[in-house]
Amino acid sequence: MKFAKYLFMLLLLAGAAPAWSQAATTAAPDSAASQLPQIMAYILTIAGAALFIVAMVYVVKVNQFLYKRVLDLEASKSGVKLPQEQMAGAEVEADSFWASMRKKYWEDAVPIEREGEILSHHDFDGIRELDNRLPPWWVNMFIITIVWAVAYMFYYHWGGDGPSSADEYNMEVEEAKKQEAIALAGMADAVDESNVTALTDAGALGEGQTIFKNVCAACHGQGGEGTVGPNMTDEYWIHGGGIKNVFKTIKYGVPEKGMIAWQSQLSASDMQKVASYILTLQGTNPPNPKEPQGVIWKEEAAAPTDTIPATETPAEGK
Amino acid sequence: MSRIEQFQYDNRIVRAFGMAAFIFGIVGMLVGLILAFQLIYPELNLSQYGISYTTFGRLRPLHTNAVIFAFVGNGIFMGVYYSLQRLLKARMFSDTLSWIHFWGWQVIILCAAVSLPAGLTTSSEYAELAWPIDLLITLIWVVFGINMFGTIIKRREDHLYVAIWFYIATWITVAVLHIVRSFELPYSMFGSYPLFSGVQDALVQWWYGHNAVAFFLTTPYLGMMYYFLPKAANRPVYSYKLSIIHFWALIFIYIWAGPHHLLYSSMPDWVQSLGTVFSIMLIAPSWGGMLNGLLTLRGAWDRVRQDPVLKFFVVAVTAYGMATFEGPMLSIKSFNAISHFTDWTIAHVHVGALGWNGFLTFGALYWLWPRMYRTQLYSVKLANMHFWIGTLGIIFYAIPLYWAGWTQSLMWKEFTPAGTLAWGNFLDTVTQIIPMYAMRALGGTLFFTGVCIGVYNLYKTAAQGTFLANEAAEAPAREPHVKAAGDHWHKWIEGRPMQMLLWSTIAISIGGLVQIVPMVFVESQVPKIATVEPYTPLELEGRDIYIREGCVGCHSQQIRPFRDETVRYGEYSKSGEYIYDRPFLWGSKRTGPDLHREGGRYPDSWHYNHMIDPRSMSPGSIMPQYPQLADNELDLSLLPAKITALRKLGTPYPEGFEERAIADAQAQAKKVADKLKSEGIKDEGMETKEMMAIIAYLQRLGTDIKK
Repeated sequence: MKFAKYLFMLLLLAGAAPAWSQAATTAAPDSAASQLPQIMAYILTIAGAALFIVAMVYVVKVNQFLYKRVLDLEASKSGVKLPQEQMAGAEVEADSFWASMRKKYWEDAVPIEREGEILSHHDFDGIRELDNRLPPWWVNMFIITIVWAVAYMFYYHWGGDGPSSADEYNMEVEEAKKQEAIALAGMADAVDESNVTALTDAGALGEGQTIFKNVCAACHGQGGEGTVGPNMTDEYWIHGGGIKNVFKTIKYGVPEKGMIAWQSQLSASDMQKVASYILTLQGTNPPNPKEPQGVIWKEEAAAPTDTIPATETPAEGK
Repeated sequence: MSRIEQFQYDNRIVRAFGMAAFIFGIVGMLVGLILAFQLIYPELNLSQYGISYTTFGRLRPLHTNAVIFAFVGNGIFMGVYYSLQRLLKARMFSDTLSWIHFWGWQVIILCAAVSLPAGLTTSSEYAELAWPIDLLITLIWVVFGINMFGTIIKRREDHLYVAIWFYIATWITVAVLHIVRSFELPYSMFGSYPLFSGVQDALVQWWYGHNAVAFFLTTPYLGMMYYFLPKAANRPVYSYKLSIIHFWALIFIYIWAGPHHLLYSSMPDWVQSLGTVFSIMLIAPSWGGMLNGLLTLRGAWDRVRQDPVLKFFVVAVTAYGMATFEGPMLSIKSFNAISHFTDWTIAHVHVGALGWNGFLTFGALYWLWPRMYRTQLYSVKLANMHFWIGTLGIIFYAIPLYWAGWTQSLMWKEFTPAGTLAWGNFLDTVTQIIPMYAMRALGGTLFFTGVCIGVYNLYKTAAQGTFLANEAAEAPAREPHVKAAGDHWHKWIEGRPMQMLLWSTIAISIGGLVQIVPMVFVESQVPKIATVEPYTPLELEGRDIYIREGCVGCHSQQIRPFRDETVRYGEYSKSGEYIYDRPFLWGSKRTGPDLHREGGRYPDSWHYNHMIDPRSMSPGSIMPQYPQLADNELDLSLLPAKITALRKLGTPYPEGFEERAIADAQAQAKKVADKLKSEGIKDEGMETKEMMAIIAYLQRLGTDIKK
């Protein structure tokens, strides 16, 4: 029965957990805690609470034990004989309030020795039935879940102002926008296509290479030789070469030709790293190169400009 | 006292169902193991050798159907045929019907085992079988019903024991569920489209799917628990009152909870909320069964240590208690937002399937075999070994998958401070959890080993005993109950099986009616979107290939209203987008990414290469290869019949369109092929291949809303 008690407590706590986890996240809005996903907060809250309950039960038990020891000691010192049999046998009368509360709200099984009183006279293929009272804690749990259900429906549908799924989504996006703005404001990361420069340090290029293998290689080949997407190693470019144009193509994509806009999946600095890495592929001559597409791009010819050249040649496809 | 009558119990039919349960248990679990290994080694799909029957998408429904309907199904009939006879003091109504039931059921299983790998599927989970098999199931279920109610009518025991209440509720509910889920219009020998489309189809599906769990995997097994557990423990059932309350509450509430499979989907919020609240209210009724099982063991716990049968029962009932607590928790929206589409759900159902259904079946088999063979169990030691290996197997199965589910879900949802997805490449969230998949496969192997030990033990038990085919028994003829003063009010209905059936039917009908009727008849529940149009003939064929290959087993088509999903996949899914989806293909698991807005995301040639070898486009992907799609000729012969069937169901194809459909499809296929050529694919004769249809379908997905 014990485990059932604890599980019941956990159920109650599960209901309270959202409030606590929310409190925890609002308390520390810009620390790592706000990034801590909700589920971890749940699990930690419930696990912590379970530990707390176990600890409290243990404290109470120890207390009871010590209290009894102290009584015994006192008794032996003063020579008074404690009414032992009364404490053990007539516990119910001795502690009638708590015993009756327990019986009423928690557990009320007929002891095995007396179960003959509630045993059915009839048997089904040898199976007999006791007629024990419904476990009170079970009934209470049932009632609580029903009350919770009605409250839930009231809050979300029958008059309360609980948010709909769409409302929740809009709130989530609003909140994220604010957080993003704060994060971006404090970041050196705020590169865009107008001010981006090609990185040259090995560390950044290495990271760019990792990103390239993960996300670009599927269409542009492991060595940038081009498969579905165009070859990145020749000097021909469809949407303009040079760091600014490459960055821009990565960022906004070319949806009509299947190039994805990566701005929601890669940070600006990641796009800068991968664009820089792509430029290092020039002239590497990997095996199985795709035929050239677009026009020859000369860095000096097109100086710092962020417009896509009008010389794009759609006839050649991608 | 009336005359004592002599009669015999039929043990042969019990043995037949028991053997079938064990054999199909082995088969079903073996297929499960293969699937587990395919997730680690995609080469095991074998499709790279042009074999299309063994891909994950086709084997997954074979696994679920084999375990649910073949293993557990035969387990149910074994338990029912044994306990029903004894609880009613009567032989089964008709031996002929018993054997028609047995062989009919095995034929159904055989049909499933052939048709599912062949790609004949409706894609509705646990209702995948083609319409002729659906008819056969209905027939055999009616035979079972006649046999059961016939036995009840000729019973010698006036009152029906709680186990039989559960059997009656099971029979009627499964009948209702199966028939309504099978409302479909055939267009060919094996093909059909469901009556409902999109959101309504989704609701009917999960009303069915959830309650298949409730009334096929749960209520009949509760009935069996109420017979076998007190028999094995030799203790009286803890509380008759608890039996009554938890039985009626369970069957009434369970039926409402289906929409918890559709939380945060395009289903209207009110339906979702009903799914949530009824799931929470289901905890106590479910636990009523667990309590009545575990508390029946009061005073017998010392025997649990020695008797492997009781050990199996204790773990089964505990697993039931855990799964029925976890289920309602997963129905709370904030939990569901994490768990849904991940392996958490897979872990959850396997605690139920391996623990509750598996262990209860094994316990019952170990109890039945020595009794029917008039001998002792061949080896208690081996039975204990089976128990411990099986338990360890469950732990090794479930824990890694819980971990995998949490890990993947958190990775999906993680953003960088700058507002981009931390794991923008879906594949990274898959490769991350492959070690956990490997541990799961180990757990499954352990469990499977246990089952093999069990088969050996039962075989040896049978070999050392003599089978008692007809067990003599005697009982007085039935005397209708005379109402006595102190009788419990519920005794009234226990002597009246037809009232029992009637009230059960009422109890299980209400929830479904309240949810499904408004969704079908109130138009405003599914707001129309003007730009959403029916699929073109070629896209329709592509969609049917998608269904045939079981793509829905790993790819959802339902973008939930979460920031991470709209950033990753695009605008969240609206109910009006699915009105021409017959069947709906929202899926329930994302082993691969969502595809609802796949249209236009990649070039046609990307799809072409990716289908032939996913790893050429996405290194590390665990998707099976589909080179045969580039080789198979596209069969358009059924198109006119498909178009006609869909028009009858309400898709607004113009009159006479069926005659132009084939030409229309060929023209569109030509366009796709030309596009592929322009993108550098050099294969010859592409325009007549199945690949054209699947690419056309994928490129259409989720694009109507952007028009």
